[in-house]
Amino acid sequence: MAAPKSVAVFFAVLNLISLLPFIAFSFSPDQPTDRKILVLLDDLSLKSSHSIFFNTLQSRGFDLDFKLADDPSIAVKRYGQYLYDGLVLFSPSADRFGGSLNIEGVLDFVDSGHDLILAGDSNASDLIRNIAAECGVEFDEDTSAMVIDHAGYAVSETEGDHTLIASDEFIQSDVILGSKKLEAPVLFKGIGHSLNPENSLVLKVLSASSSAYSANPTSKLSNPPSLTGTSISLVSVVQARNNARIMISGSLGLFSNRLFRSGVQKIGSLNKYEKSGNEQFVTELSKWIFHERGHLKAVHLKHNKIGETEEPSIYRINDDLEFSVEIFEWSGTSWVPYVANDVQVQFYMMSPYVLKTLSTNQKGLYHTSFKVPDVYGVFQFKIEYQRLGYTTLSLSKQ
Amino acid sequence: MDRNLGILVAALLLVASTCESAIFNPVSESHRSAASELLSSADGSFGSLEETYEALKTFEVLGIEKKPDIRTSACVSAVKILSSTSSALKDLFHALRVNGVLKCELNDQAFPGIGSKLKDSLNGASSLLDFYYSIGGLILIKDQTSEVDVHISDADRIFRSIKALSQSDGRWRLNSNNPESSNDAAGIALEALSGVISLASSEIDSSLIATLKNDISKLFDGVEKYDDGTCYFDEKLVDAHGHKGPLSASASIVRGITALAAVSSENLNLPGEKVLGLAKFFLGIGIPGSAKDLYYQIDALSCLESIRGSVPLILSLPATVLSVTKKDQLKVKVSTVLGSAAPPLSVKLMQIFVSGSKDASVIDQKLKFDPENSVHVLETLPTNVDVGNYIFSFEIIFDEPEHKNKYATGGRTRVPIHVTGVIKIDSAEIAILENDLGSVETQKKLDLPGESAVALSANHLQKLRLSFRLTTPSGQVFKPHQAFLKLKHDSGVEHIFVVANSGKKFEIILDFLGLVDKFFYLSGTYDLQLTVGDSVMENSFLQPLGHIELDLPEAPEKAARPPPQPVDMYSRYGPKAEISHIFRVPEKRPPRELSLAFFGLVILPFFGFLAGLFHLRANLKNFPKSIHATFAILFHLGIAAVLSLYALFWFKLDLFTTLKTLGLLGIFLMFVGHKTLSHLASTSAKLKTT
Repeated sequence: MAAPKSVAVFFAVLNLISLLPFIAFSFSPDQPTDRKILVLLDDLSLKSSHSIFFNTLQSRGFDLDFKLADDPSIAVKRYGQYLYDGLVLFSPSADRFGGSLNIEGVLDFVDSGHDLILAGDSNASDLIRNIAAECGVEFDEDTSAMVIDHAGYAVSETEGDHTLIASDEFIQSDVILGSKKLEAPVLFKGIGHSLNPENSLVLKVLSASSSAYSANPTSKLSNPPSLTGTSISLVSVVQARNNARIMISGSLGLFSNRLFRSGVQKIGSLNKYEKSGNEQFVTELSKWIFHERGHLKAVHLKHNKIGETEEPSIYRINDDLEFSVEIFEWSGTSWVPYVANDVQVQFYMMSPYVLKTLSTNQKGLYHTSFKVPDVYGVFQFKIEYQRLGYTTLSLSKQ
Repeated sequence: MDRNLGILVAALLLVASTCESAIFNPVSESHRSAASELLSSADGSFGSLEETYEALKTFEVLGIEKKPDIRTSACVSAVKILSSTSSALKDLFHALRVNGVLKCELNDQAFPGIGSKLKDSLNGASSLLDFYYSIGGLILIKDQTSEVDVHISDADRIFRSIKALSQSDGRWRLNSNNPESSNDAAGIALEALSGVISLASSEIDSSLIATLKNDISKLFDGVEKYDDGTCYFDEKLVDAHGHKGPLSASASIVRGITALAAVSSENLNLPGEKVLGLAKFFLGIGIPGSAKDLYYQIDALSCLESIRGSVPLILSLPATVLSVTKKDQLKVKVSTVLGSAAPPLSVKLMQIFVSGSKDASVIDQKLKFDPENSVHVLETLPTNVDVGNYIFSFEIIFDEPEHKNKYATGGRTRVPIHVTGVIKIDSAEIAILENDLGSVETQKKLDLPGESAVALSANHLQKLRLSFRLTTPSGQVFKPHQAFLKLKHDSGVEHIFVVANSGKKFEIILDFLGLVDKFFYLSGTYDLQLTVGDSVMENSFLQPLGHIELDLPEAPEKAARPPPQPVDMYSRYGPKAEISHIFRVPEKRPPRELSLAFFGLVILPFFGFLAGLFHLRANLKNFPKSIHATFAILFHLGIAAVLSLYALFWFKLDLFTTLKTLGLLGIFLMFVGHKTLSHLASTSAKLKTT
């Protein structure tokens, strides 16, 4: 009974291996508003001195819970449930947190997909430095160092040590900094940090100019400073693999009302701006951090033979198939169709056999069609969409 | 809290922590715009009467026009409370305060009723706040109408009962049951006591006043002080909303002592320095972000503006960065905390300290007063002031000596001054030296700052020398904070060297032999970049000098690898190249006709076979007849079914289905086959026997 080999096919088991497994943690599309954020401060007066920043968050529907960093009642987790969706650490000098929170607690919080804004400052404590280091950001080890830029400082009648920097070296990304161009430079006064070149998750959002360096402004330099030039990052963001987003700034003053309202003129430039770019910069960046922009979801993944509508259980070699998926972006209030021309699908078994760019109908629907390769085996449809600032879409279907 | 407040001040002032002097500017236009921004609500009304009062008071002090709609809505609610007989003490007090500011049209009949009510509650009061509201209310009535007799007869008793709540350290308790004392309560008590003094129908016992003065001096002993002269009253009781803190406590005490100083017949001997420190504290906050804090700040400053005995005067400088090249003049402005003009006085520049050292040069120079802009001008900087960071020490001297008792100047004010200038750069040159002899191989002059693009080449046995000279406008050698030479390899590896100064010259010699290890043995083109900068150098520059071609030896095996360079983050993202599957090319087949011809050839023997059968006269005579024919036909059909099953297996069915069906067919075939064969056997046996 010689069994003739049947035409082998793909066993289409139709089980979704991982359709957006991460979104559910940090970011709930069902209840996207009214999210709770814990704000830890060194001093309650920061609440009023940084009120513009806090007010913009509150006006966007966030529920801020202010606490002193050494408040013994701090707890981010109760009975295994996180009480907050985001954490703002405006406590650069805190040596330790009050209550049950510690560095592991903060990292667990991020590891479970929650967002974090961390502000360091000159004389930042080891705790803050360690948290930043765990996120892939190394603050200058010299605790008295500040970023100095003698060729890129903000002109001021009263500050003469060139540590108030006017930087306009932003990341080129509309999704992170908003589509409106930042006209005025951002004022920064604080410490610089460097990024590990091997870490691909952390991005420099605001970097120093090539003439900047990080040193103690009052002592004489005998050795080259450890951080110089454009490798100094002033503000960085991290998008973790679980789509948790972290913002690390070397300056707490960046968020302050004072610098928000202050006018700015960069040395050597004739443009004088009434208002610094800080407010727009911080507001837009916080929108990104709290997933109000750049958060994608893919739904309605479909594939079928051309001319049919049902999803077949198997494809034979040389079949012509159609594939379509819908991608939406969260706009802060609703899901809007995401329009791009570089979404790609892979027909994948160990390695992609077919990789094709999807064409879009400008309404979020992406589709393509191709011929099934003449290789027998179990294939997956796979979309791996990684773009600067967008959450990573990674889904596959067998 | 001390530590926290330290950060507060550091964060808010953004003052370099290195100098113990700082500049405080009086209230300015930015406060006004911030106030209008903060205190404007959409519908023109405020939450409570207390908030309304605070907003109105802030507007009044800052001189901002009140919007008429605020007036209407606030008046309505104030009059409602004042006319009602069942209003709480606190509400009455706030309503009277609002009325005091707005002068609402209120039926005068209401006042006597309120007055007697307040007096009653004053007699029954036990907690500090009750006293405060009642006395405060009575004072407000006194100000608003003259028809009501608000004088209290048993002022001594009330004074004593308020005093009974005081603590030995000058703080007060809110009521007798609560052991917690606070500075905030002290301020409230002082305000209440000043009210008692002004309402008293007879003179208060002078010994009571004396103990009160003692209390105030104790209170001031407990003030927290900073190096820069800032003083504040700390508050240990921080309530849940964060409204109470150093700011509110200090504001409360300032209100209290101002009120007391206004009514007390004798001098309170307030420590002028500490009052000035408080003023600096309120100004140092900058522009608070919340309406409440703004009220505390502005209200306290307005109190300080009019405090009797020691009105603080603030010495401020519009600019502390002065350029010697542009011949900037040093301007000093003296005003009260709210920015109004100071009495006639003169400012003297007493000493100049070089930042970071204790050396001081005594100047004792009087600044010229410019009445037009009301600033004091130092027309030319002293000759020994070169570019650099200095601390200037000023002193205020009153033209009329009796002003000394009215104003607090806090002695000498130290202000950091940055004197900047254009630094002259000359004799800049770059050279390649032979290692052993030190003889110059190539030497090029550089134009700093300017354009230069030198092209050098060197091997590891040679040296690179870069030298230049920096002089200040007055001809001194200048040592900048930043003097870096950067070598950048094509692969992105950077090396930074500090250019050190040797005597008059800045010089760096790079001995490549000692640096090959540091350079990771990377030969090739290095870009040279020189950065010279300092906070007082107006022409700080970053200039590419050109490039140097280095010929370094091969790396030994153990040499360190160059560090990985950051990947360009934009290139990390982006679409990947498309992949399309290359299908196997179908095998080459002969044309159709040929295949058909061969098919015909293959099938031909079959026809031959049939023809042969016919030729041999094959017959089916032996085919069973009658009932046995059925079995024979079924048998053959069964065989055909098995064959077609095989065909199905080829096309469609899997092994399991095929085997199952095959089993069933097999049983059937066995049965019919046995029947047929047994019939055939019996027929042939019959033939044999016959």
